[in-house]
Amino acid sequence: MSDAETLDGMSTVEVRTSATAALIPTIRAVASDLAARADFDLDAISDLRMAVDEACATLVDAAEPTSVLQCRFLVRPERIRVHAEVEAAKADTVLSTDTFGWRVLQTLADEVEVLHEAATEGRRATVGIRLDKSAGDVPR
Amino acid sequence: MSEAVTPEPFGVGLPLDTQVSRPRAGSVLLEVDGEIDTLTAARLQAGLDEALDVARSEGSGVVVDLSGVTFLASSGLAVLIGGARRVAGFGARLRLVAASRAVTRPLQVTGADALFDTFDDVASALAAAALDVAPPPGVAPPSGEVGR
Repeated sequence: MSDAETLDGMSTVEVRTSATAALIPTIRAVASDLAARADFDLDAISDLRMAVDEACATLVDAAEPTSVLQCRFLVRPERIRVHAEVEAAKADTVLSTDTFGWRVLQTLADEVEVLHEAATEGRRATVGIRLDKSAGDVPR
Repeated sequence: MSEAVTPEPFGVGLPLDTQVSRPRAGSVLLEVDGEIDTLTAARLQAGLDEALDVARSEGSGVVVDLSGVTFLASSGLAVLIGGARRVAGFGARLRLVAASRAVTRPLQVTGADALFDTFDDVASALAAAALDVAPPPGVAPPSGEVGR
């Protein structure tokens, strides 16, 4: 994540947990709370909660067992950007995007992107997901 | 010396309870309460399998009451969709009671709602399910029915 994203004066919330499915309910509860307090409409709150759950579940499956799951919420006017990341189980771990869960995630979020970062000295390879969700349905 | 049991603090995820009952002749009801996600979807699967086995052996209609469900992830949707396919295999529709946004929104946004008959309350779902009831194989149709 670039400095520009963390230092732009918007509200940022970071949650770090063990990369285990048992803690995803906590993360999605944070997502839901932030969306509610950012005046998201009820459908958008529900969508963000589900999208964050989906993203975290995908990452936990690909994570190194002792990894941390790091989830950053960037709360901006009318939208929330979520950046979730884990240490990859293997150097060549790739997130599978041909699953039902991934299609659901694409439907729920306005934009979603997979991020892979190769290992560097002293740092394992990481896999991440970035998603954006706006506060309400864009008028068509 | 007894061995101390140290349970995982969040071992099996949030609670998900399922219960199968026969509230009236000809219909099987699966009540589900809790959050359905990757950890608890297996419990939904087990409950649904039980309900569908009963329904199939008795020729009953099936209703899944999701009124008590407060979260539904794709892993849970996949279980429900699998159930709808299985029920379609014996010529019926899976009936869902889905009143809260936590359930209706995931069904709607994924388009999965087309696979189910959805009701606001259990009573109307059961009334519809009772219409599914087929006489078990080998049983004569009720008298008064016109034969072949």
